Amino acid sequence: MSQLVVKIDRSEMRTDQYEIDLKTGRTVLEAVEAIYNHHDPSLAYRYSCRTGLCTTCMMLINGKPGLSCMKMAEPGEDGVLHLAPLPKGRTIKDLIKEV
Amino acid sequence: MDEITTDILVIGSGAAGLAASVYAAESSQQILVIDKGAIGRSGSTVGAVQIASLGSWSHREDSLDAYQQDIRESGRGLSSPVLTDVLVQDISARLEDLLQWGLKLDKNEHNDILVAATSGHTTPRSISSKKGKTGLAILQVLTKRAKNSSNIKRWSDVITLELVKANGRVAGAVVLDLKENKSYLIRCKTVILATGGIGQLYPTTSNPAQSTGDGFALSLTAGAALVDMEQIQFYPVSLIHPSSLSGLCLSFYHSAKLYNRNGERFMDKYEPETMENTTRDKLAIAIASEVEEGLGTPGGGVWVDATGNIEEVKRQFHHEYQLCLDRGVDLARKQAEAGPAAHFIMGGIWIDGDAASTTPGLYAAGESAGGLHGGNRLGNNALSECIVFGARAGKAAARESARMKSIMAGVPLQTKKADKMINVISNSEQGTERSYACKKAVQALMGEYVGVVRSTKGLLQAKAEIKVIEEKLDQVKITSSLDFYSKEILDYIEAVLMVTTAQAIVEAALTRKESRGAHHNKNFPEQLTEAKHTIVKVENGKMTVQEEGEV
Ligand SMILES: Cc1cc2nc3c(=O)[nH]c(=O)nc-3n(C[C@H](O)[C@H](O)[C@H](O)COP(=O)(O)OP(=O)(O)OC[C@H]3O[C@@H](n4cnc5c(N)ncnc54)[C@H](O)[C@@H]3O)c2cc1C
Ligand code: FES
Repeated sequence: MSQLVVKIDRSEMRTDQYEIDLKTGRTVLEAVEAIYNHHDPSLAYRYSCRTGLCTTCMMLINGKPGLSCMKMAEPGEDGVLHLAPLPKGRTIKDLIKEV
Repeated sequence: MDEITTDILVIGSGAAGLAASVYAAESSQQILVIDKGAIGRSGSTVGAVQIASLGSWSHREDSLDAYQQDIRESGRGLSSPVLTDVLVQDISARLEDLLQWGLKLDKNEHNDILVAATSGHTTPRSISSKKGKTGLAILQVLTKRAKNSSNIKRWSDVITLELVKANGRVAGAVVLDLKENKSYLIRCKTVILATGGIGQLYPTTSNPAQSTGDGFALSLTAGAALVDMEQIQFYPVSLIHPSSLSGLCLSFYHSAKLYNRNGERFMDKYEPETMENTTRDKLAIAIASEVEEGLGTPGGGVWVDATGNIEEVKRQFHHEYQLCLDRGVDLARKQAEAGPAAHFIMGGIWIDGDAASTTPGLYAAGESAGGLHGGNRLGNNALSECIVFGARAGKAAARESARMKSIMAGVPLQTKKADKMINVISNSEQGTERSYACKKAVQALMGEYVGVVRSTKGLLQAKAEIKVIEEKLDQVKITSSLDFYSKEILDYIEAVLMVTTAQAIVEAALTRKESRGAHHNKNFPEQLTEAKHTIVKVENGKMTVQEEGEV
């Protein structure tokens, strides 16, 4: 199976890179969960409804704000899926913003 | 441990918790509402589509009696007459409050309030707001009101580890602020639990990530009784693929057609009169029985065909339709694979008409309370329950708190579970078990043995497997720094609470030696003549179950 490279801007100015299986129809949230479950248990992220209603899973996806449960996990122009916390407000950890 | 004081502590900020806060704030008591996720955006309420209510929109033939009769009929002998009475008496006034505070109801093309029919309600009485984003709309109205109340404080990302007692009363809670992994002791006069449901105890669910049944475990440890915990509603027709949407409720099932793998419209065998338009307990059991008999689809469900009613689907359930379409499930053109998903728990904390639990100082409202819906909840009665009993809990807790002279400051509060959890977390470097894997293991066994169709052997197996997971949790490994937010710690606490709640469900299910409502045991397929409740408690550290007549 081919791989998807995911780069995540994390707390303390760290950027980590992960390679996960590229699956069709996988959402960004599912990709983040796969990283937490199988690659890096220290990754912090927030979600709730999985259906685009609560908006707590919002993050920067390839540079644009989006709901990670609604956007497909696809590489950006540079061939990498780039994730980061939203720029506004305090970041609690990694992809989690203060609410 | 740092201490915080308030008069009333509200745990959970869905419709029930926010309603409780807002009504309690009509007094001069200080209210602190906490949530382990983002306040007002982390529970099942967010996804709710419609609410059932009496009001100016009611059909001529509708009445308090008719509404109460429908709930009791659907409750299969387990619906509490006291609670159903409160619901029908209070609902229109509570809805009127929400309308005054800014809730706008959806209208039809003639500018009349849109009223929809729902299976099991003999008269149409389901209304909506924000084009079917009713739960969200109610949360917005209540959140705005809470923000404007000077005596309500809100605190997000704080999980409750244990309710603590003094002099036989619940007098506070130990909580963990997840943002910095710092624990606090909250002292208060009364606590209102509104922590929602248990969907996340199952592998397939419509519920959000936070529905791990925490409130049931918390209240058991505090000595409160739980009623009919075996009564779990599986939403009969929920999507199986894609994985990102598995468990998504297909709300239009009553007017769609269901087929088994042989293309038979099997509801003809089970409910020839109503076909698919039957109550959720009956439909879920029919679907699960087809699958058990080897007549299921490759994904372990049945085919749902909405092509015949697609215009109604697009109009009434637009969000679902569009979500499916965006993920490649074109309901207008093709059948989809669907099956039961854990959706709602009818059982829960045993309350009276004022939402007081059996433990002094502790109230419960919304999905974490039990007894109103009995053996089967009718669609759209959950939101009604939240606002009616949330308000009742808020007002009663405020009255009781006002009568009490002071918060029991200085009184030593005993904690048992919280100390142990904090200890395990601190020593978790040596551990071996992933907390997320423990959660998955609970889900797997509950899906396998405590799903729609149960057996005594399976339930005993579940009991044994839960014990193994409980032991594993003492050996949890947390790799992330303990100084910052850690999803591993959140998963660990949830897993510990899930284990206790799962035990309560299994014990109650083993005690009910019949099939009634949503509880279907194939070794006891008949319904007994007399309806009895199962009551689970923890006494001297041991879980006990009793059967009781009408409560
Ligand atoms: C997808 C979906 C659709 C539904 N549709 C309808 C519908 O159309 N009509 C209807 O009437 N009902 C519907 N229901 C059911 C209904 O939405 C719920 O039963 C109801 O909203 C529950 O509200 P609540 O306030 O009791 O709990 P929730 O809204 O679930 O809120 C509980 C809150 O408690 C917090 N919490 C939990 N544990 C802890 C803890 N240990 N410490 C701190 N905080 C904690 C959670 O984070 C959460 O925010 C639906 C449910 C789902 C999942
Ligand atoms: S998880 Fe709720 S919007 Fe994405």
